[in-house]
Amino acid sequence: MIRLANGVALCAVLTFTSLMNAAEPLSQAMDGAIERAEPKFKDLASSRCDDGTFLRRISVDLIGRVPTSSEVRTFLVATQPDKRAQWVDRLLANPDHAWYWAQVLDAWWMERLPGKNTDASAWVTYLRESLAANKGLDALVAEIVAADGVDPAQRARARFLLDRDMEPTLVVRDISRLFLGANLQCAQCHDHPRIDGYKQEHFHGLMAYFNRTYLFDDPKLKKKVLGEKADGDVTFQSVFDPKKVTRKRSPGLPNGPERQDPMLTKEQLYVSAPAKDVRGIPKHSRRALLAGDLVTAGREPMARNLANRIWAQVMGKGMIHPLDQIHGDNMASNPELLEIMTKAMLDGGFKLRPMLRAIVLSDAYQRSSMPRGKEKKAEDRLLMARLRPLNPEQVGYSILAASGYDEAEAKALGTKATPAALQAKREASARPFINTLAPPAGNPDGFEPRLEQALFMSNHAHIQQFLSPRDGNLAARMLAQKDSGKAAEELYLSVLARLPDESERGDVAASFQSADRSVAVRDLIWALLASAEFRFVS
Amino acid sequence: MGELRGCGSIEHTISRRAAMGVLAAGSAMAFNGNALAAPLTHQNKRVLMVFLAGGVSQLETWDPKPGAPTGGPFRAIPTSVTGTHVSELLPHTAMQMHRLALVRGINTAEDDHGKGSYIMHTGRKQEPSVAYPHLGSLVARMVAEPDNPLPGYLHVQPGGGGGSSAGDAAFLGPRFGSVNISDGKPPVNIDLPNGLTQARDDSRHSMRRKADARFLATRNTAETEAYTQTHDQARQMMAKKALFDVTNEPDRLAGGYGRHDFGRHCLLARRLLEGGAPFVKVTHTNYDTHHENFDFHIERMGEFDRTFATLLEDLHQRGLLSSTLVMVISEFGRTPNINRNYGRDHWSKAWSVALAGQGIVPGAVTGKTNAQGTAVVDRQVNGGHLFATYFKALGLDPTKKHYIDQRPIPMTDPAASPIAEILA
Amino acid sequence: MTQDKPKPVPAAKPAAPPAASPYPGFQLSVLKPGVELKHSSPLVACRFDPTGNWLISASQDNGLQRWELSTSKKTDLAGHSSWVRALAFSTDGKTLYSGGYDGQILSWQLTLAQPEPNRQVRAHDGWVRSLGFHGNRLVSGGNDGRISIRDANDLREVLAWQAHDCHVYQVAFSPDGTKILSGDHKGRVKVWEKDGRLIREFVIPGLHKYDTGFRADIGGVRAWSFSPDGAGIACAGITNVSNAFAGVGNPLIVVADWTTGKIRIDLKPKEAFQGTMWGVAWNSAGFIVGAAGGNGGMLWFWKPDQQAELFAHKLPDNVRDMALSADSKRIAVAFQGGAVRVYPISA
Repeated sequence: MIRLANGVALCAVLTFTSLMNAAEPLSQAMDGAIERAEPKFKDLASSRCDDGTFLRRISVDLIGRVPTSSEVRTFLVATQPDKRAQWVDRLLANPDHAWYWAQVLDAWWMERLPGKNTDASAWVTYLRESLAANKGLDALVAEIVAADGVDPAQRARARFLLDRDMEPTLVVRDISRLFLGANLQCAQCHDHPRIDGYKQEHFHGLMAYFNRTYLFDDPKLKKKVLGEKADGDVTFQSVFDPKKVTRKRSPGLPNGPERQDPMLTKEQLYVSAPAKDVRGIPKHSRRALLAGDLVTAGREPMARNLANRIWAQVMGKGMIHPLDQIHGDNMASNPELLEIMTKAMLDGGFKLRPMLRAIVLSDAYQRSSMPRGKEKKAEDRLLMARLRPLNPEQVGYSILAASGYDEAEAKALGTKATPAALQAKREASARPFINTLAPPAGNPDGFEPRLEQALFMSNHAHIQQFLSPRDGNLAARMLAQKDSGKAAEELYLSVLARLPDESERGDVAASFQSADRSVAVRDLIWALLASAEFRFVS
Repeated sequence: MGELRGCGSIEHTISRRAAMGVLAAGSAMAFNGNALAAPLTHQNKRVLMVFLAGGVSQLETWDPKPGAPTGGPFRAIPTSVTGTHVSELLPHTAMQMHRLALVRGINTAEDDHGKGSYIMHTGRKQEPSVAYPHLGSLVARMVAEPDNPLPGYLHVQPGGGGGSSAGDAAFLGPRFGSVNISDGKPPVNIDLPNGLTQARDDSRHSMRRKADARFLATRNTAETEAYTQTHDQARQMMAKKALFDVTNEPDRLAGGYGRHDFGRHCLLARRLLEGGAPFVKVTHTNYDTHHENFDFHIERMGEFDRTFATLLEDLHQRGLLSSTLVMVISEFGRTPNINRNYGRDHWSKAWSVALAGQGIVPGAVTGKTNAQGTAVVDRQVNGGHLFATYFKALGLDPTKKHYIDQRPIPMTDPAASPIAEILA
Repeated sequence: MTQDKPKPVPAAKPAAPPAASPYPGFQLSVLKPGVELKHSSPLVACRFDPTGNWLISASQDNGLQRWELSTSKKTDLAGHSSWVRALAFSTDGKTLYSGGYDGQILSWQLTLAQPEPNRQVRAHDGWVRSLGFHGNRLVSGGNDGRISIRDANDLREVLAWQAHDCHVYQVAFSPDGTKILSGDHKGRVKVWEKDGRLIREFVIPGLHKYDTGFRADIGGVRAWSFSPDGAGIACAGITNVSNAFAGVGNPLIVVADWTTGKIRIDLKPKEAFQGTMWGVAWNSAGFIVGAAGGNGGMLWFWKPDQQAELFAHKLPDNVRDMALSADSKRIAVAFQGGAVRVYPISA
């Protein structure tokens, strides 16, 4: 792995508007790194994907749903040479972008843990507002780590800690996994048995930021908040050490400097001393120290982790895999690429949108998922796009979009069809799909198809409503067509973002001969929604 | 499964699990999907696990100590095996003892419910870095026929909690996780929705499959296969829906099983096993009798005894028992000492399980505890020995290994060997 | 310096007379230590015989112990093959009847130096839980839900019927001997004619709960005692159960009028105690004694119309049973540690 020297000079931060018009230099840099890693790249790489495929990819990746049939039609007939970049910018400016990506960050950072002590939807709103305001993700993480939950206006951000009950081992594990890309859980009791880079002192250095923080049931606020003491040290022994030597650890990031407590007299220790009914507020907060350290000494590992995760989210697999195993012995699939993206994250102030823009406008992202030859590990080498499953939110919102629920709702709401109103409707209607597809709480998203998901899709009443005709939805549009060919087009454009081939037109025509057209339409829509082509991004 | 896949990479031709990526939280293994052990030979064997949740008292079941200060008020009764006695709470099971083997010398040294249960399901103590698969998942993977329409690991449990526990399968993959049959009722959503006929369902799935065939002709992966397979599995489960209808049973037999939940659940278990399910677990709860241990065991054993005896006899009558490995287990036993609430607390140092069927010597008894029941004095075994014994009984090699990320992981604890004296 | 005349000392006011004890003749505010009778195995039951000569206790080693109260001498009575918690006596105190978890009823001649079982019958399918005596009849109830009436001499069964659909915890003849009462695991009390016809039944709320989390019944009429006038019955058990398998609940006595089925009052200890009220006795003077075990041992005295107790006494060990002597002057408490203590309560 290429290591950057400390204190690398920051490039000028490119603003979002200037990016909109410039050719995307970051995309070019990424593609350059990918080509350089493959001697015969030009001979081996698959060609660019077609427009419909591209539109479907950026829609699910940037706003969480498949494109509507009219969006596909518009995009397919557009002739501007930079129409792909234009559409990307259109999606990034869409309020649904921040709305969807808030749910992505929520799934990353909360892994669907219930809102035990806080309001889970207020937290998602906080993430959405942060993203809409283009807040740097480093600043966002710092806010989350420093939160105490006391101020009602800022309570939402404390969910990360409060809904983990501020259980220190869990918090340290999740901070190391989710923000630093290093699962230090195994390093709690001993240096990691297989990973040289994960040491016990790393785990306990993180622990030392939290050991003085505690969950406090505030009698006045009648809520759980975080308090902190001004004393308490972290000591540890290795279970493999026969001598049981006890070591002390001050707060410090892995491989970072140890931070000593300032020398304070007893009287100087507290802003508010902890008591039975009083939340402790120390003058020197170790937890606040972590927030500061993460965005300074921890900037590079934070940037690398985020770059890797954002890449994984839209490309289907991280450059380092698994996502929480960043260390010296785990080679990135393309080390130069990872470092380019890490640097871009650092230089770009940890903004999400510019990073996403650069990735989706790269040749790598736009490569076809059809193999060109018989190269082994072609997806890992980025010779072709990876066939990847939609995540639970993408499935839910795409079923709604594909079946025309969104359009029907917009019609029904009329002038009241604001983005916020539609988002609320979509969240509620997508929830049963998301719940069925989501892993158990406390687990990262991962593709685990299960029998009961198929039974749900087949037989549960919830999906049936989207297959019935309703003014503005797909079933209604199909039934309105006298020509089965036009109905077939409407079907395939809505669900799969492409036109049907001859054989498919023929199948739809045959279905339309049947006695009950509305039944035929229901079953056609269902069959495509249940198909692998819908379930995956190709 | 030998068709050419799109990119021809190693992962895709080997294992479905290969491309699924994410492991259970806490696992430190980088899983890149190398070969698992190839399916081992099997001949229509199956497993029935009866799990008495909470920790059944060995003193009130398999290892009574009447007259000892720790013995409690129940006496011991003779069984159909000369010289073997069980608690008076098991009069019907006592008459089936000639089919059962008893392991009385278990010391799992783990008094925590979750951890004790883990040991009994996986044959290993919990480790932070590796999650081991349940026996049910292993059987689903290695004993089940690949085209078996039923899920390999079915768990019939009292109400609450449906869905599946994909995590049970650990690195074997969620396909081999347990599928929960909550309260013995068919899986949720097993019925077609109102107004949808079988003909229509056939037709829409035929459309789905046609669409998939077209799409996946040139680029399918382990993940797409896993996905499409769940639909086929769902259809097959729906076709087997009738298995879940225990009202199809003759009334007298249903009466013999008992007209209570456990009775119905065991009757369902028999139907599932008979219908080809490779591994069925039935849970009976409320054995955690810290308070009024004796009254509650009267009640619990009152349900268990007759039901289990009926089940054994029924399996035998249908010619299934000799090819079905039957086990009655718990997460631990209970303290010989009677506490201040006429209760017994957790005791993993000296307790018992019962086994029967495939590969087991009927009527065998191994292991002895002392006069008070506080310690094992002869032939002490742990969860690893039991696990290796299950393997051997099923004709599987307990020394075989899984290969995860090219790292060999023994399927059973290498430090524990099968209990030879109860293996046929 | 001349001494002042001593100032007159004001006459001492006479001491206020002690508050009239609600039960003159009884010392209830202080529990004298009493006599400790020690056995080698945890006890599960105790009863005084009607003459006051003997105290019978029963233990986890399946034995009975006959204690001669004047000398504290113990005689072991062997004959059961399981625990005994059902004890009854003939009116003249010469015969002891014991019912055990072995399903057997044994009769014993207490006047013998070393009593042996006189007669033995298998009375119930499952545990015998309770015995009652009146005239020449013995009544029993057990886990099979049946009530059985037997000739007290030869223990021959004269009548039996299926009385409850769950374990019968208590049976008794009414004090006038004309009726039979039974109480069960689900807190129900049934009143019967002696020929087995049901007169009425009622539930003692608070003494039973179906724990939906554990799907188990917990509670029941664990002990009872008739009022001096015979119409009332004080029923004891466990209430407020939040965890049936951990035994988290509180002891309770419910006073009811069994002739009408009306519940009169709940008697609750003021200070929370975790456990079961194992014994209750309604003294002829009118007060009610209750003893509970679980998280230690406690004894309380109540006025029968007042929810909170008059006096509470901590006992030295976990209580398993409690009995009141026929002359109401002594209380016996059987402990898990193997001892039974006899506490004098007369003033």
